[in-house]
Amino acid sequence: MGEQAEDSGRSGDQVNLTINGKSISAPSSLSVIQALWHTGYPRVKSVGCLEGVCGSCRVMVRRVDSREVTTELGCQVLIEEGMQVNFLLFPTPTHHRYQLEEINSSWEVQGKFHKFFPEAEMCRHCGGCNQTCPKGISVELGVELASKGRFEEAGALFIECVLCNLCQTACPESIAPNHVGLFSRRVSAYFHIRPSNLINRLEKLRKGELEIIK
Amino acid sequence: MTNGIPYATALEQYEPKAERPLPDQEMSGEELRRAYHPDHYADSIVELNVGTNKGDACHRQLADILQADARIDEADLAGAPIVETDVLVIGGGGAGCAAALTASRGGASVILATKLRIGDSNTVMAEGGIQASIEKDDTPQMHYDDTLKGGHQNVNKDLVAKLVMNGPDVVRWLIQQGMQFDLDKYGDLLTRRAGGTSADRIVYYRDYTGLEMMRVLQEAVRTSRIDVWDYSPAVELLSDELGHCAGAVISSLEDNRYKLIKAKSVIIATGGIGRLHLNKFPTSNHFGATGDGLVLAYRLGARLQDVDSFQYHPSGLAYPQHLAGTLITEAVRSAGAYLLNGNGDRFIEELQPRDQVAAAILRECAEGRGVTVDGGGQGIWLDTPGVELREPGIFDARFPKLIELGKKSNIDPRKQPLLIYPTLHYQNGGVVIDENCQSSVPGLYCVGEVCGGIHGRNRLMGNALLEIIAFGRIAGNHAMETAPSHKHKKSSIEHLSQLRRELTLANMPMDKQGPALFPSYAKFENDSDYGGLHKTTQVES
Repeated sequence: MGEQAEDSGRSGDQVNLTINGKSISAPSSLSVIQALWHTGYPRVKSVGCLEGVCGSCRVMVRRVDSREVTTELGCQVLIEEGMQVNFLLFPTPTHHRYQLEEINSSWEVQGKFHKFFPEAEMCRHCGGCNQTCPKGISVELGVELASKGRFEEAGALFIECVLCNLCQTACPESIAPNHVGLFSRRVSAYFHIRPSNLINRLEKLRKGELEIIK
Repeated sequence: MTNGIPYATALEQYEPKAERPLPDQEMSGEELRRAYHPDHYADSIVELNVGTNKGDACHRQLADILQADARIDEADLAGAPIVETDVLVIGGGGAGCAAALTASRGGASVILATKLRIGDSNTVMAEGGIQASIEKDDTPQMHYDDTLKGGHQNVNKDLVAKLVMNGPDVVRWLIQQGMQFDLDKYGDLLTRRAGGTSADRIVYYRDYTGLEMMRVLQEAVRTSRIDVWDYSPAVELLSDELGHCAGAVISSLEDNRYKLIKAKSVIIATGGIGRLHLNKFPTSNHFGATGDGLVLAYRLGARLQDVDSFQYHPSGLAYPQHLAGTLITEAVRSAGAYLLNGNGDRFIEELQPRDQVAAAILRECAEGRGVTVDGGGQGIWLDTPGVELREPGIFDARFPKLIELGKKSNIDPRKQPLLIYPTLHYQNGGVVIDENCQSSVPGLYCVGEVCGGIHGRNRLMGNALLEIIAFGRIAGNHAMETAPSHKHKKSSIEHLSQLRRELTLANMPMDKQGPALFPSYAKFENDSDYGGLHKTTQVES
């Protein structure tokens, strides 16, 4: 029982690849990060949840017989023969500073959005953000919808966003599309989610009608 | 490896069925736990030899790091830069962010130091949801009773009362930070049931509840006045001449330098311990979950409780092997998924508390009714196709993360059952706190998984996300309110002399250093410049 420790040697054919310029040989059942650990290379930075939801382990990947370079999450990429991988360390975080409380009513959201994110309407539709997104989000469309004030629709495109910031890195206008997406989602909740079941319960609690007998 | 049914054979025998009867259960929950739960494995528990909890039971691997030598001494701090703040929060998950936001909005100066990046945490991976009693047929009292029962009565009742009474307001607060929840067509919060509970009480956002919560909190912190220090693990706390907490020593992963942060209050929110792989179990935990906060707090004299009790989540993925340990949310069982052994039979009521279900799975495997995988590993079936038969389309609508996981595994969970095995998930015990999250060391607060007392010896689904926000806000608020009455203290690491004296007197080995910071397989200790890709370089002597 309990003998299923992770990160020990694994089955699978040995494959050869390069990671950050180092030649590595490891079983094909491993992810890029596991392969590094398996062969004794330290890897601490750019490692997070190991489940593809924290956005830390950004890698550039080129597969054999392909000219295309893709950006992906290292914990989600299984190694392949001849693959070339480079880790992209995390960039400087967003410079945007705003508080939702600065928006006095939902009528003001669009105006405030352009104040907080003045670059958003500068989008030149180069598609760089779409191309880099490891989750396949229609990033550019999201920015466009937000700029038009269609925040609910814009936000819905970013459900899978893990804030890896690759779209921000790829944007020549420094738009920070992921933060535009998150802003869109946040204002939608902040102004529009008012569940009656929750509000009724809060009222009862406020009146002291519900107490705990220990 | 125990006997079992080979994966291919078991899969061939498997037939999707909407309904399956549950055979009579021969063992009670208590008998199951005693016989099969990993907390009861022989030789996994030792007595602590030094510190506040001397003589108490503790998991062997945790005892090793609690009783390890410190990573630094006085000489390391010579010339280290010193920064002052009102409140220092250590840890950038949900608990740390809630505490930091609350303290900062109340007017305190706040530094949030985190080992990796803010948001790199177990919070981001939480899938199931948050418990909050909001439905008409539910009350905080029922939530309280369920939590006590789930924790086997071994809880701090005042903390649990505070937890459940805060539930609805935590959800309101989260919405006001900009977090979305799944709603019905009238805009009411949808709820679902958790294992071991008596009402539908889980509010959620698909199976991305933690991700949605964490990205919203992370954004709120990043766009605020809070000073965020990424890549800054705390390696020691600072103490004043009375032994009160006075700040922390940070070891920067960016420039490999020590930095001192003097703080009027320190809030530890470092989370759990899964990456220590207790009893060699796989884990659902984040890469950084190595119990650092427990070590730091214990060295400064904070009292711990229940450090021999851990949660093994029943449904960690067991196949394919490179994803072993990945969590499959309990919500799949809430939605009605059966657990089946290799013969296709049910063997436990699926929504019993987690410790009982995990024990039952381990029993099936131990007695040869599990499914074995070539190259190591075993498990039992999570019967997802049965749910899809009863409720077509449910996985697409409610479990996008599970569908994604299926794609990575080359398994369509709508058609094929998933092989699961318990995965090390949660630290039930931890630092003893009072109702304001204060530890037994003045100036030191703890919040979230690093604490004990709230979940007893077994946590219910949805109570962790509730706890981190409820108590994160409480800790942040209390630390902020008391800040003006405190001055910065004289700070040192004098308490380490006491630690080393005790370790020597108890004849403890001094060859290991704590906190662990990273799991051993990440080779951090070899990584002398923390740069990443230096194969077994020697640490300069």
